[in-house]
Amino acid sequence: MHGVRRVRQTAEALAAKKLREQSKITEYLALNEEVLSKKASDDWSREAYDLTTRVLQINPEFYTVWNYRRNILLHGIFPKCSPTEINDLLTEELSMTTAALKMHPKVYWIWNHRRWCLENVPDGPGTDTEGDINGWRKSYWDKELFVDEKMLDADARNFHAWSYRRYILAGMPVAKPETAELAYTTRKIESNFSNFSAWHQRTKILSSLWGSGRLDYSKSKEEEFELVRNAMYTDPNDQSVWMYHRWLIGDGEDKEVLDREIIVIQELLDEQPDSKWCMESLVHYKRLLLQRHSSLVDAEVANDCRRLLDELRGLDPARRRRYEDIEKRL
Amino acid sequence: MSSELLTALHVAYIQSLGKSTDDLVYHLTAHLRLNAIYWGLTALCIMDHPEALERDEVIQFVGSCWDEKAGGYGAHPAHDAHLFPTLSAIQILVTYDALERVDIPVVVKFILSLQQPSGVFAGDSFGEIDTRFTYIAVNALSLLGCLDQLDKDKTVRYIKQCKNFDGGFGSCIGAESHAGQVFVCVAALAILDRLDEVDSETLGWWLAERQLPNGGLNGRPEKLEDVCYSFWVLSALSILDKVAWVDTGKLTSFILSAQDPEKGGIADRPGDMPDVFHTHFGIAGLSILGYPGLVDLDPVYCMPAKIIEKKGLKKGWKALERQS
Repeated sequence: MHGVRRVRQTAEALAAKKLREQSKITEYLALNEEVLSKKASDDWSREAYDLTTRVLQINPEFYTVWNYRRNILLHGIFPKCSPTEINDLLTEELSMTTAALKMHPKVYWIWNHRRWCLENVPDGPGTDTEGDINGWRKSYWDKELFVDEKMLDADARNFHAWSYRRYILAGMPVAKPETAELAYTTRKIESNFSNFSAWHQRTKILSSLWGSGRLDYSKSKEEEFELVRNAMYTDPNDQSVWMYHRWLIGDGEDKEVLDREIIVIQELLDEQPDSKWCMESLVHYKRLLLQRHSSLVDAEVANDCRRLLDELRGLDPARRRRYEDIEKRL
Repeated sequence: MSSELLTALHVAYIQSLGKSTDDLVYHLTAHLRLNAIYWGLTALCIMDHPEALERDEVIQFVGSCWDEKAGGYGAHPAHDAHLFPTLSAIQILVTYDALERVDIPVVVKFILSLQQPSGVFAGDSFGEIDTRFTYIAVNALSLLGCLDQLDKDKTVRYIKQCKNFDGGFGSCIGAESHAGQVFVCVAALAILDRLDEVDSETLGWWLAERQLPNGGLNGRPEKLEDVCYSFWVLSALSILDKVAWVDTGKLTSFILSAQDPEKGGIADRPGDMPDVFHTHFGIAGLSILGYPGLVDLDPVYCMPAKIIEKKGLKKGWKALERQS
C-alpha cells in the first residue's frame, strides 16, 4: 500500500464501514469462487472470458485470472476465430488494459498482458504475396508508442512505462530511428531536468548511436556537454544532471575533456560556494586525473581533493563516512 | 510519532492480519497471501516472536497452495504457481524447519524450466522476465541445496548486462537502476559468489545518494523516500560493507516515524496506512541498523541470520553492531 493516508476513525464509523463492505465481500467471494471453479474445469467459453473481465476490473492484480483469460483466448476462442476476429479481440483486449492502466499505472500484470497481446497479433490483413502481412502489427506498435507516451505524460518517471517503451521500440515491425528517440528524451529532459529516467534512456540511445557511427561521436558528445552544462547552471542541486555528466566523462580517458570540465565546475562552484554536487564531482574527476594521468598531474591535485572532502564532510554529514573512506584511499 | 520500536503492537498487528476476513482488502490481496505470510513471519522472527503465528496451521496452509499441474506454489489455494509464492513457501518452510514437506525435485524442475535462453528467469509460464525472478530462482535453489543444478555462468551473464554506468542494476537489459533491482542483483551475485561483477565504489556512491534530508531512502534519483527502500538499499550496502555510508541514526528515526502508534504496523512513510510489506521491510532495515532487541537478519536471503548460518549458506555481509 503506497501513499494512503491513515485516518483516525471512530468505532461507529469503522463498524458502519465494515457493514457496507460486507455485501461487497460476499459479492467478490462469489465471483472469485465462480471464476476459479470454471478455471478448474478448463471452461474456455465466452462466458468464462466475460467473467474474467469482471473479476479483473475489480482486481487487476489477480494474476491467476489473467493467466486463465489468456488460456481461454488461446484454447477456447482463437481456434474458432478468423485472423480478423482475433485481431478485433486483441484490439478490445488492449482497450480494456488501457482503461486498467489509467487507474493502476504500476500494476505489473497489466503491462505484462499488453505484451502478450502484441505477441499474439496475427499476420494480416494482407498475405506474403498481397497487401501487407505486417499491417496489423505495424498499426498496433505505432499505437502502443502513443499510449506509452500518454502514460509517461501522466508520470514521467513510471519505470513500467519506460521499460515498455524500450520493449516497443525494440520490437517495432518498422524500426523508429534512434535519433527520433533521442529527440524524445530531449523533450522529456527539457520539460523537467530532474527526470533521470529520460537521462538514463539517453545514455542507452547515445551509446547505440555512437557505437554504430550513425552520430558523429565527438560532435555529439560536445553537444551533450553543452546540454548538461545548461542543466547544471539551472539547478546545481539536481543529482540527475550530475549523474549524467559523470556518464559523459566515463573513465576519464580524455584528459583534455577532464581538465576543461573541471574548470567549468570550478567556475560554477565559485558562484555557488556551498554546492555539494560541484564538490563531489570535482573530487571524482580529480581522482580520475590521479588514477589515469598520474604522470601528467601535479601532487597538488590530491591536496585539492582532501580540502574538498573536508568541506563535504561538513556540508553533507549524512555521507561523512564515504568521504572519509575516499580520503583514506587517496 | 514514536521514537521506539513498538514491538508488542507490531506483533499484535501481524497476528490480526490473518483474522481480518471482514476486511475487503484481505480478500483483494489473496494473490499475495503466501508472500504476506513470509513477510509477517520473518518480521515476527526478527522481533523474536516466532511463535506468534500457529506453526502447524501455517505449514498446512503452505501445503494447500501447491499447484499440482505446474509443480510450484501459488499464492493461495487454487491460484496458479508462480516464482514469487514459490520462494515464499520455501522461505516459510525453511524458517519452520519443515522443508521435508517440499517435493524438492519437482520444485527444482519448475524453477529451472523458467530460465530463458538469455539467462534471465521468467516468473511463470507466460514469460514475464525480470531480474527479481533471477534472484528468486537463485535464492530458492540455494535454500533447497540444489544450486549446483543451475547454469551459473549463464545466469550471471544476464545480470551483468543489466548493470548501468551508475553502478546500479535494472529489471532487464536497458532498464534504469532501481534500489529494489539493485538488491536482487547484488544478493543473487552474492549467493553465486560473483560479487566481483559489482563495481562496489560506484554502486556504494549511488546507494548512499538514495538518502534524503529527512533520513528516508528513495529508490531512484529525484524520487520520494519510502520505508521499503530502507531494506533494499541497506541490504546492498551491507553486502558491500558500506552501511555507514548513510546516516544510520536518521534512517532509524525515519523508519520508526512511519509506525502506526495505535494499531501497530509500519507504513511507506509517516502518517500513511501500514501494511505487512512495509512492516517487514522496515523491521528488516532496523535489524541491519543494529536496532536494540532485534534478532539478526541475513540481508542476502532476507531471513533470520541464524537459520541461514545453520544451513551453511552465510555470505560475507556486514550489518551494524547490535546496540544494547
